Amino acid sequence: MQAIRVENLSKTFRVKKKEKGMAGSIKAILHPQTEEIQAVNGVSFQVEEGEMLAFIGPNGAGKSTTIKMLTGILYPDGGRVEVLGIDPTKKRKQLAYQIGTVFGQKEQLWTHLTPYDNFRFFGAIYDLSERETEARIEELAQRFELGDFIDTPVRNLSLGQRIRCEIVVSLIHKPKVLFLDEPTIGLDPVVKENIRSLIMQMNREEHTTIFLTSHDVGDIEKLCRRIIIVNAGQIVLDDSMERLKEHYLYEKGMEDADVSDISLEDIIMDVYKAEGRTAAV
Amino acid sequence: MLTAVRNQLRVCLLSVKYNIMREMVNKVTFLTNVCFMILNNASILVQWFILFRLREEVGGYTIREVLLMWGLTAASFGLSHILFARAFSLSELIIKGKLDVYLVQPKNVLASVMTSSTSVSAIGDFIYGVALACICGLGVGEFLLFLLFTVTGMVIFISFALILGSLSFWFVRMDMLENQMVMGMISFCTYPDGIFEGVSRFLLYFIIPVGIAVWHPVHLIVKFDAGTFFIVAGYACLLSVAAVAVFYRGLRRYASGSLMEARL
Amino acid sequence: MRKYMVIYQSVLLENLQYAANVAMGFLGYFVFIFIFVKLWGYMYRTPEELIAGYTKEQMIWYVMMTEMLFFGSNAASVAREVAGDIRGGNIAYLMNRPYHYTLYILAKYTGEWSVRLPMYAALAVVIGMVMVGPLPHFRLTTVWAMALCVILGLTINAVFKMCISLFSFWIEDATPFQWLYDKLILVVGIIFPIEIFPDKLQPLFKITPIYTVCYGPAKLIVDFSPEKCLEILAAQVLYLAAGCGLMFLIYRKGVKKLYVNGG
Repeated sequence: MQAIRVENLSKTFRVKKKEKGMAGSIKAILHPQTEEIQAVNGVSFQVEEGEMLAFIGPNGAGKSTTIKMLTGILYPDGGRVEVLGIDPTKKRKQLAYQIGTVFGQKEQLWTHLTPYDNFRFFGAIYDLSERETEARIEELAQRFELGDFIDTPVRNLSLGQRIRCEIVVSLIHKPKVLFLDEPTIGLDPVVKENIRSLIMQMNREEHTTIFLTSHDVGDIEKLCRRIIIVNAGQIVLDDSMERLKEHYLYEKGMEDADVSDISLEDIIMDVYKAEGRTAAV
Repeated sequence: MLTAVRNQLRVCLLSVKYNIMREMVNKVTFLTNVCFMILNNASILVQWFILFRLREEVGGYTIREVLLMWGLTAASFGLSHILFARAFSLSELIIKGKLDVYLVQPKNVLASVMTSSTSVSAIGDFIYGVALACICGLGVGEFLLFLLFTVTGMVIFISFALILGSLSFWFVRMDMLENQMVMGMISFCTYPDGIFEGVSRFLLYFIIPVGIAVWHPVHLIVKFDAGTFFIVAGYACLLSVAAVAVFYRGLRRYASGSLMEARL
Repeated sequence: MRKYMVIYQSVLLENLQYAANVAMGFLGYFVFIFIFVKLWGYMYRTPEELIAGYTKEQMIWYVMMTEMLFFGSNAASVAREVAGDIRGGNIAYLMNRPYHYTLYILAKYTGEWSVRLPMYAALAVVIGMVMVGPLPHFRLTTVWAMALCVILGLTINAVFKMCISLFSFWIEDATPFQWLYDKLILVVGIIFPIEIFPDKLQPLFKITPIYTVCYGPAKLIVDFSPEKCLEILAAQVLYLAAGCGLMFLIYRKGVKKLYVNGG
């Protein structure tokens, strides 16, 4: 079954345009002019259940906008979205029960409460019974090794501990799809590695579909078997990790080179630079 | 359906509880905030003692009615800021894209947003308002009416703020207007309706609903009248429905802070 | 040339933003004045009546002037900034600069109200002329004395608000004390002239800062007399000296406490 299906998705932001100087300001009040910014422009892709997908692109490429439309935060202007067969624009709440989200730069935890109290609060949000919540907290606390600080107020935790708690919160209701928007931002390498292996484990044991955006090549390389690159609101590449490298070598006329010799980073840089050129690979 | 409502209520109550717990981390600050707000409100009574020295009634109100009016305003304002403080800073959340967190939860967005913070000094306002009602020597029925009108007043304040705040989905710089309009409305609430006449009186009864939130209820507590009562109740319902509709209409245009990024 | 255009634009945009803020403040001011026009319109039964020696026009102009000082100076920003510096720990850097922190804040504040106050003054004159009518006995020749009183009054107010904020060295949140001070000024100084209070209370109010901060300047504007002017100026000088002394004292104690506790 397909976990995510996106067809021809687009989103435009209207930004007020203003000409220079005082006259421009007055004109803007009398005759407001808007400029359209096409953040996402006709994006289509599918994600199978249990897949781990990296969704990457340079800043302003439209990744966050896409992820926000998939989770029901933003309202699309055109196209269709289905996550687990549910349309986020029509049944946002129903979908919310089945997905989890971690936005690396936006916190959802109450900082004056302990992680334990936070988990109980989110248990209530997802309508779990006391027993279910307790059982799930115990399970996740063990897996994510929260034992040492589960009763320490969140504001006293380190960033790495916090992000682990953020991930646990997003998993409390056993979501089928997990959206991770730059989950390892600002973390040190050891913690990053730790978070990655936990995400892998989640995928393996609970068959969770992982939808990941990140600027960290390490995240992508370690976690994902498939990669989608967007630029200027459009998909410029959609391929499996292995084939990506083969294709790249072929493109460069280096068929004989060893696939393991080239780094993903080089490929991504190349694709970013080739802006405007559609799917060169 | 019923379970959904019960679960929603459970989450909202937990939110409010945690909000207050957060503020109580420092007990001294918490208590001084509450007590000083009571004192702060009480000091305004000086104004009324002076005005009643000049005339026996002000705008058709005796001192008892002025106390009732102040009590009702303070109680409604207090209760709304204890439970739903975020309704009054909705603009900021919309502009800065802070609704995301609530949009990925399987709960009512508006309810989650509104209950996501509290105001400590509002506890002082609420206590002060109820205390004034007690000083007025209300009977049991009148007191119940007072509490009921505290709730309708709260609904009107919140709806008014929500409508203004939701305009941020369409227009920029609504945050300041929201703030000024709500504060302006509260200012009008603390003066008798008898001093306004003509156009201003009409505006204050129907456009900026001060009359429905406070003045009608004061008259009703003094002398009950079923017709006016239904006007108040009906208006409160209507305004809240309008507020919810405007919010959800605007939510489709929610940009989640992407506009700010796009401008950079 | 281009870079100067860019500088011009960014400053202009900043100021347009500022103008929008001021316009919003105007709305708040207007609501206040509107209520008082209506209130005094109701309280005065006949146009010739005098309340506490004030005509209806004088009474409304009095409120308009005190509110103009209040809105136009925005002394709350001083309080907020000082409290923020102390609580946020910024003070540790600011106090080692080659100037006195409190005077630096005062200078900054004066710069702010020098721009805001004239705008509110213009608004007040327009509203007053349209809704109330001109002030009787107002003479332009005495404006310089009024201006002096206004400047002193605003400065004294800022000094006292800063004193309260300096308590942040010891307590977590000094805002509740600010509310109380503001309310005192509002009830006893802004809304009513002192003459309206019972005779026994009046001498008491005359020794509070309210007399010099609010009542003094506004009284001179609505009803000028040379004797009154000298009396108020003398009180203001005394209050300014005492207030500054207090401010320096609290500041020094606070800084000492900071050194002891190491911030």
